[in-house]
Amino acid sequence: MNKEKVLSLQDVKMRFGPKQVLNGVNLEVFQGQIIGYIGPNGAGKSTTVKIMLGLIEGYEGKIEIFGEEIGNGDVSYKRKIGYVPETAELYDNLTACEYLTFTGELYGLHRKEAESKAFQLMKEFGLESVFYQRLSSFSKGMRQKVLIISSLLHDPELLFLDEPLSGLDANSVMVIKEILDQLAARGKTIFYSSHIMDVVEKISNRIILLVDGRVVADGSFSELQAQSTEGTLEGIFNQITGFSEHKEIAEKFVEIVSEANAHA
Amino acid sequence: MHDFTSLRVLDRFRWIFQKLHIDYEMMRKILQLKLTMDGRRMPTVFNGSKVKKEGNQFLKSLWMYGLYGLLLLTPFLFLGDQFIFFISIMFSVLMFIVMTSMVSDFSAVLLDIRDKNILHSKPISTRTLNAAKVVHILIYMFLLTGSFIIVPLIVSIFRHGIGFAVIFLVDVVLISCLVVVFTAFVYLFILRFFSGEKLKDMINYVQIILTLAIMISYQLVIRVFEFVNFDITYSFVWWHLLLPPLWFSAPFELLLNKDFSIPIIIFSVLAVLGPILSILLYIRLMPAFERNLAKLLSDSKRNRKISRPLDHFWATVLCRTKEEQTFYLFASLMMKQERELKLKIYPQIGFALIFPFVFLYNDLRMHSLEEMSKGNMFLVIYFSLAMIPTVVHMLKFSGTYKAQWIYQAAPIQNRSSIYSGTLKACIMNYFIPIYLVLSILFVWIFTFRIVPDLIVVLLAAIAMTLVSYRVFTGEDYPFSHSHEHMQDMSTLKVFGGIFIVGFFVLVHFIFTKIPFGLFVYMGLLVIGILIGWVKIFPNRSKEVVSK
Repeated sequence: MNKEKVLSLQDVKMRFGPKQVLNGVNLEVFQGQIIGYIGPNGAGKSTTVKIMLGLIEGYEGKIEIFGEEIGNGDVSYKRKIGYVPETAELYDNLTACEYLTFTGELYGLHRKEAESKAFQLMKEFGLESVFYQRLSSFSKGMRQKVLIISSLLHDPELLFLDEPLSGLDANSVMVIKEILDQLAARGKTIFYSSHIMDVVEKISNRIILLVDGRVVADGSFSELQAQSTEGTLEGIFNQITGFSEHKEIAEKFVEIVSEANAHA
Repeated sequence: MHDFTSLRVLDRFRWIFQKLHIDYEMMRKILQLKLTMDGRRMPTVFNGSKVKKEGNQFLKSLWMYGLYGLLLLTPFLFLGDQFIFFISIMFSVLMFIVMTSMVSDFSAVLLDIRDKNILHSKPISTRTLNAAKVVHILIYMFLLTGSFIIVPLIVSIFRHGIGFAVIFLVDVVLISCLVVVFTAFVYLFILRFFSGEKLKDMINYVQIILTLAIMISYQLVIRVFEFVNFDITYSFVWWHLLLPPLWFSAPFELLLNKDFSIPIIIFSVLAVLGPILSILLYIRLMPAFERNLAKLLSDSKRNRKISRPLDHFWATVLCRTKEEQTFYLFASLMMKQERELKLKIYPQIGFALIFPFVFLYNDLRMHSLEEMSKGNMFLVIYFSLAMIPTVVHMLKFSGTYKAQWIYQAAPIQNRSSIYSGTLKACIMNYFIPIYLVLSILFVWIFTFRIVPDLIVVLLAAIAMTLVSYRVFTGEDYPFSHSHEHMQDMSTLKVFGGIFIVGFFVLVHFIFTKIPFGLFVYMGLLVIGILIGWVKIFPNRSKEVVSK
């Protein structure tokens, strides 16, 4: 690959108290890639993203973003990063306009510029009528759209999206997928973590599977398919994570449900 | 789940509900759940004090209402037999407290829209659901007014006899009905014309007013006896018909003083008819009320941008970097719009405004206004500074503290500009308005000779903000902690604040004794603030680059 290396992780380890969350993650990401970052709950996906953003400190190993080692105290690398956190936390007593202008300014935009850009983007999502309303009155999908806009306002080179589609309707999901595709075509790099396998399957050109803080599979969807007997990403995921008893669990579950019904 | 005493008492009235075709068991279950949830909410009366999270905070706050009853209502019982005067004042106080508590603490009960999704989707009749809601409110009204009037009621038996006490009790029941219905009407009215966000703002303001009013009434109650003139006779004016406290004091005149004049009879009739009619009207309007509740989640009336040119102007004037301006504007918005923050801070600001006058008033009883205007009493303006340490400390907290991820995710070059901008916004938004109001009034009282002194006070306030931040807050991000973690900082910080204020007053006083001393002091303060600000909020981005 002759494209520029955007980020690299070398033997990154992280522990929270006695719990080892990351067990030496090695990763190289190049410009224009859409990375699907998947793994079971608690595998360390969000932790990896948070470390790269500098939200969590105290890791071991080496992390370089845009060729510069993070954690040297210079935060200017963050200017080229957009982030949608998993928990949709916003200052929801602010209006969409106020919040977006504020975040835009934090990324170095001018107030007027941030505001007009935010308004145009909101308009494209059909949210122009609520631009001056408080975020607390927004539905989950609307908040998610605001978060996505706030992560893109400053035209970042690298996007970290943690479950970016949660709460969005099918049409909006299609729009976001297309946006990601076109951003990648323009040389942006997207680091995307999700639990919804068929979206990851369609959207990413490279999939990284993390289990117990370690990368266990890395490649395009067709490469992963070739290594596995399963046809879908979901199947591959189950196979690699060694999970096969979903039928038994479901059976038991339904049984208990009907049991209660029989008593009533 | 806990089995509540109030529910066990309610069990005795089971037959009433069954007569009304209400599913009592179901209603009881709903009430039990609601009471359990209420146990996890905190009433406004306890605002600011250290509260453990266990148990129904409302029940624990009842003794506070008992105390208010003793302090605010009982004194009126000793003001003689002119019932129409002192009882109407007493009922005004009662109605005010009950109504504001109703709005501040039970709006959650009255306005719970989760009910619609959670309960209305279940196989329970509407009749039962409405009954549960009404009973829920009534339980609280009963406990609240009960503990509020218990002391005055017992005192009144000894002071005015059993007849008085009976009328008093009946009146209180009628007043409670009127208050519940009236509160609901206020909500209905607001929801009809404004959005849900507006209503939440208004509830917030009522909470603030309640907190403030209770504190101020401590000051006033002591002076009540000075205000009352014992020799006036009542003369009727038509608009008195619009004052419910007069309605409810009329029966005392009618039955105990045997006053059968026309106005007294009309008032007494209104006292009985008013609450009954309002309840009937309420039942009629209940469906409209429920419909409008759906609007509660919306902010639909707002479609224009609220521009704040003044904030933008001060941001450019006061802040050194663009980053700092951003945080100045952000902090200003938070200070104006974050409800939890306002609920904690605005009462403090109210005190800051009122305290100086309490001291002036005390002094006026000993000296004339003219005497005072020549003295040094204007130094009491320093008492408005006592709030600064507490307010600065509170800037650390927010109801939406989890959104603080943005500080770390964003490429903020100079982290010290965050708090620097926030403190500037705090001074401009909170202190300056109070300072201006006080200054205008003080100049009016003490003439223009005190202008240099007032400038010194302003500088002292800025210095104090800086010192408070340095001493009490340290390095944290603003609006980044949950209010629940706000432990009992208050005592230490308030005393610390008063100590620092005392120090500033002393220094100010010493410098006034030296010729031109005040101007020297002014210069020293300016230099001190400039150096202090740069020291505490250094331009750290340079260090990073050199690394």
